[in-house]
Amino acid sequence: MRKVYIVGIGHTNFGNLSELDLDLVDIMAFASTEAMDDAGIRKNRKIVDQVIVANMGGGIINHQTGIASSLVSRLDLEPAMAELIENGPASGASAIKMGFACIASGMVDVVMVTGGELMRTVSGWEGTDFISTLLHPEAEYNYGLTLPAFGGMFTRLYMERYGLTDRELAMVAVKNHENATKNPYAHVITPCTLEAIFDNPDVDTVNPYIAEPVRLYSTCPVSDGAASVIMCAMDSPKMGYFKKKEPIVISGVGSATDTHCVHQREDPLRLKAVQLSAERAYKMAGLSAKDISFAELHDAFLVLELAISEEIGFFKIGASKEAVVKGVTRINGSLPINTSGGLKAKGHPVGATGVSQVYELVKQLRGEAEKGRQVKNPKHGMAVNFGGFGNNVVTTICSKECKK
Amino acid sequence: MIDFNVYKPKKNEVYAYKCPECGTLDYPAPMICRKCGARRDPSGVYFSSWEKIPLKGKCKLLTWSRVYALPEGFLEKYLIFGIVEFENGLRASGRLLVDKPQIGMNLVAKVGLVREKVDEDVLGFMFDKED
Repeated sequence: MRKVYIVGIGHTNFGNLSELDLDLVDIMAFASTEAMDDAGIRKNRKIVDQVIVANMGGGIINHQTGIASSLVSRLDLEPAMAELIENGPASGASAIKMGFACIASGMVDVVMVTGGELMRTVSGWEGTDFISTLLHPEAEYNYGLTLPAFGGMFTRLYMERYGLTDRELAMVAVKNHENATKNPYAHVITPCTLEAIFDNPDVDTVNPYIAEPVRLYSTCPVSDGAASVIMCAMDSPKMGYFKKKEPIVISGVGSATDTHCVHQREDPLRLKAVQLSAERAYKMAGLSAKDISFAELHDAFLVLELAISEEIGFFKIGASKEAVVKGVTRINGSLPINTSGGLKAKGHPVGATGVSQVYELVKQLRGEAEKGRQVKNPKHGMAVNFGGFGNNVVTTICSKECKK
Repeated sequence: MIDFNVYKPKKNEVYAYKCPECGTLDYPAPMICRKCGARRDPSGVYFSSWEKIPLKGKCKLLTWSRVYALPEGFLEKYLIFGIVEFENGLRASGRLLVDKPQIGMNLVAKVGLVREKVDEDVLGFMFDKED
């Protein structure tokens, strides 16, 4: 299998972009152009062989199809090949995985992967319904069940079994918001303290329940935005175009699926697809959990940061809260998690999220993260992008140097 | 003259499906049996139809949430949802009619109107306290 380098990265700010005079493809084009400039290939952009777009709601929310073709044309990238990948909130990492496979297989040399979402154009009511369409139509969606509903039921079960407290969950929010205050692309840059969101007599007003026991500050905001990465085969002569930045290697990619309905799992609290996707990525990279320097984990609900960190072997099952309390996962801890602010504070434009996580891995590995949120001498970064309620999960490991 | 009395009225039931080969029950209906791989044809034309077993009666609450983030079409301030396990081991998600639920409590599954769509009333599980 050929080695694949990431040679360029781009990002828009995340937030409510619905008031701007930009459509979904414009937003994707901004991130893509940033990636071209970062890679130093805007003038030579026709060297891109393949474009892969990640998006979940273009067809439903933006009433647009053929999005990959539209993006290629807006960037004057014809006649590059182009496809759209939809894998719910894990569309981004799936698109990176498919781009990786296109290069590793020898089919093409240069791939641009761009993920984007523009969903604040509709009401929260409609947006919640749109995301809920990934649930089982008959056994879940019809009831009015939503992703926050599953986040709530999962959190309650986790608290009951492992003794996680509401306050410990709030500490994860404070950590992720602290990182986001230093990330100019984050949706929520406003500082957040434990006193403000939990140790406060007005907690139910400031930090109300969304789906008990999940509060406003234990879930992510609804965001718009886009992110893009450009990849090239290590053995390609086209690597000669990418002299501007240090290449970062994609050392491991893995994904796995689990039952569509949460109730069909033997233990509804175990995230088998997370565990297996990580196992596959570790195997490809020839690495294990102890080799990872930092990680971006899909904290759409804060409890998922904890549960994922356990499933991927960072901590024993049920023991991650102790690491949070001790500060192990803070930016200066021994295993920083969600250095970008995570979905919690950086935001979660669903189709963009997986690409944005890998963008963060590359930024950290290059040593380009903003002051106060740069991990010290990272070697391997790991991203877990969680689709459905854990039924389709993609793990990506990026490394500073080639391991094999 | 047509005597409509020969038709059975539509029942308010939710069904599990029983594999005709190995007897495994599943909900919601699969297209391939998880245990033995037998195929199911919903129309019963190509493969023998699977027996529909009404899923109802006593169950135990595994987890729940009072949900304020409801999707388009729901005007309630909140709804309570839960996942239960039936006595036959099958599990299901559905609406909870208990205002102060507790994990592990005994419930009984009924079937009621869970969503109104244009020209369609959607029926589903309502979990309530035992009488």
